[in-house]
Amino acid sequence: MPENQNFNSEAGLPVNRRAGKVSKYKIEHYVAPLDETPLQAVDSVKETGKPLSMWAEAWRSLRKQPLFIISAILILAVIIVAAFPQWFTSQDPTYCALENSNEPGREGHIMGFNLQGCDIYSRVIYGTRASLLVGIFTTLIVIIVGGTIGALAGFYGGWIDTILARLGDIFFALPLILGAIIVMQLPAFRDNKSVWTVIITLAIFGWPQLARITRGAVIEARNADFVKASRSLGLSKFKSLVKHVLPNSIAPIIVVATVNLGVYIVAEATLSFLGVGLPPDIMSWGNDIATAQTQLRSNPMMLMWPALFLSVTVLSFIMLGDAVRDALDPKARKGA
Amino acid sequence: MLSFTLKRIAQLIPVFIGATLLVYFLVFATPGDPIAALSGGKPMTPATEAALRAQYNLDQPFWIQYGLYLKNLVTFDLGMSFSGQPVADLLGRAFPVTARLAILALLIEGVFGIIFGVIAGMRKGKFFDSTILVASLIVIAVPTFVLGFVLQFVIGVKLEWAKPTVSGAGTWSELILPAMVLGLVSLAYVIRLTRTSVIENKSADYVRTATAKGLSRNRVVRVHVLRNSLIPVVTFLGADLGSLMGGAIVTEGIFNVPGVGNLLYRAILKGETPTVVAVVGVLVIVFVIANLIVDMLYALLDPRIRYA
Repeated sequence: MPENQNFNSEAGLPVNRRAGKVSKYKIEHYVAPLDETPLQAVDSVKETGKPLSMWAEAWRSLRKQPLFIISAILILAVIIVAAFPQWFTSQDPTYCALENSNEPGREGHIMGFNLQGCDIYSRVIYGTRASLLVGIFTTLIVIIVGGTIGALAGFYGGWIDTILARLGDIFFALPLILGAIIVMQLPAFRDNKSVWTVIITLAIFGWPQLARITRGAVIEARNADFVKASRSLGLSKFKSLVKHVLPNSIAPIIVVATVNLGVYIVAEATLSFLGVGLPPDIMSWGNDIATAQTQLRSNPMMLMWPALFLSVTVLSFIMLGDAVRDALDPKARKGA
Repeated sequence: MLSFTLKRIAQLIPVFIGATLLVYFLVFATPGDPIAALSGGKPMTPATEAALRAQYNLDQPFWIQYGLYLKNLVTFDLGMSFSGQPVADLLGRAFPVTARLAILALLIEGVFGIIFGVIAGMRKGKFFDSTILVASLIVIAVPTFVLGFVLQFVIGVKLEWAKPTVSGAGTWSELILPAMVLGLVSLAYVIRLTRTSVIENKSADYVRTATAKGLSRNRVVRVHVLRNSLIPVVTFLGADLGSLMGGAIVTEGIFNVPGVGNLLYRAILKGETPTVVAVVGVLVIVFVIANLIVDMLYALLDPRIRYA
């Protein structure tokens, strides 16, 4: 099946289309006269310029996808808000006056006030940073740790692989939130609650999944002909892993990592909601939602605003992952 | 088949020991003296304290504690909670509630997920498909606890269609709303998974053959497309049963369900090792058995898969 599709895409679409059109209107065994379809047109292969790499081709199809454009703009916006919250609000999120407690929105304070009389809008803006930091750094650590372990296990196999499989089984059987609650109770974590403890905790339970995916992709690439060729040309095992296997197995890792970035942001909010995540003095969407739950009946918007920002951020990372997957998978790109 | 099943059950043992050891160690390493907490911070006579410590094996080093725990486990003695109740009793009361909750959630996911997924997949690119895709993305992006609060507030408090919280009995009908919340995120994944799988299979040769044979569209979809699309979905559902029981911590907290998640959460905060390890052990067993069932379903769904 895959050969078939490759053949179609490599043969060049224009030629195929014309052939299809002709057979539709005329008799099936129509043979085009030579002057109508010159030989060069049939056999023509673009020889000028290098063939596009997988990434260049993926980028070309990504640029045209509305899903990608929307999510990329949203993510860019969130990153800017996280980096420069002061550009988006002149309010001090830590200035709270009890006289404003649970007041609805008014000029200058479009989202109203929370129970303590703090401006909800500025808290939402300043809360972006913690959530995004957790998402980005957890993903980075998971890629480095899980990717390395998965690549070594998949490439070398043997006992490393066996140990990884069993370790992965143990971590897999423990649900993320459950494991994270237990780890967050450890003295080293409970006494130093910060963004970093949350990041490390989530990474501890996040790496096995990425290791498994990397392992699968590496095993697939390891047996490819070009890897065998590089080995027979005298490249060392490790070098062929770094130079040939890894670059060719990175696509599924990127897709999963993008989607998981959103998942980690949700996990941080859930941990903060359960009271074991970020300390209450760090402004984050999760903390604000957690404090808002007691006020749900009197001031539901206090919960809705941070939840909305959180959801839109997570949504844009998931959409980005979806778009990248479609772009890297030629089967999906043709819209078959 | 039998030897395969036995082999898989044997594989359960290292996973079980590894997971319980990990959890036992983590809870062991947690500071705070549970015995001091038991007396509410008031002074205790050294004799009482020593007796209590001996009762819970807290005077022993880690490996001996864990070994004693495993030894008792073989005789189905799960130990005592710090409030003096046998852990087996606590678990016996909480487990059926969570089991009902997880089964309901799994049913909601499975039935609606597969139906919506098949319809969306068969009508790829049409209105229903796009709506379902957007809706499922939104459900995945909104945290479970936000969904839980909103549904509790709207359905339970405003519309009064269901009770906003669950009674001590945790009956089936009371658990429908929490199960919806619990299953909603996975429902979105099931829909998307089924949809992708159906799209992949509906252009397969055997589907064309079946249509060409003159079979009704209904039969083609049910027998030829669906059955061949179910393997990834069933795999997901099996793995999900474990995370549903773990994810119940949040849902059970919101709806006040007296289940395993609630029990576990309180036990973790109290540092009550026997309870935590027992609950996690049960969760691990459920997870591994669910995956075993999934592997057996493979053979049922795809006759090409055989376990010698």
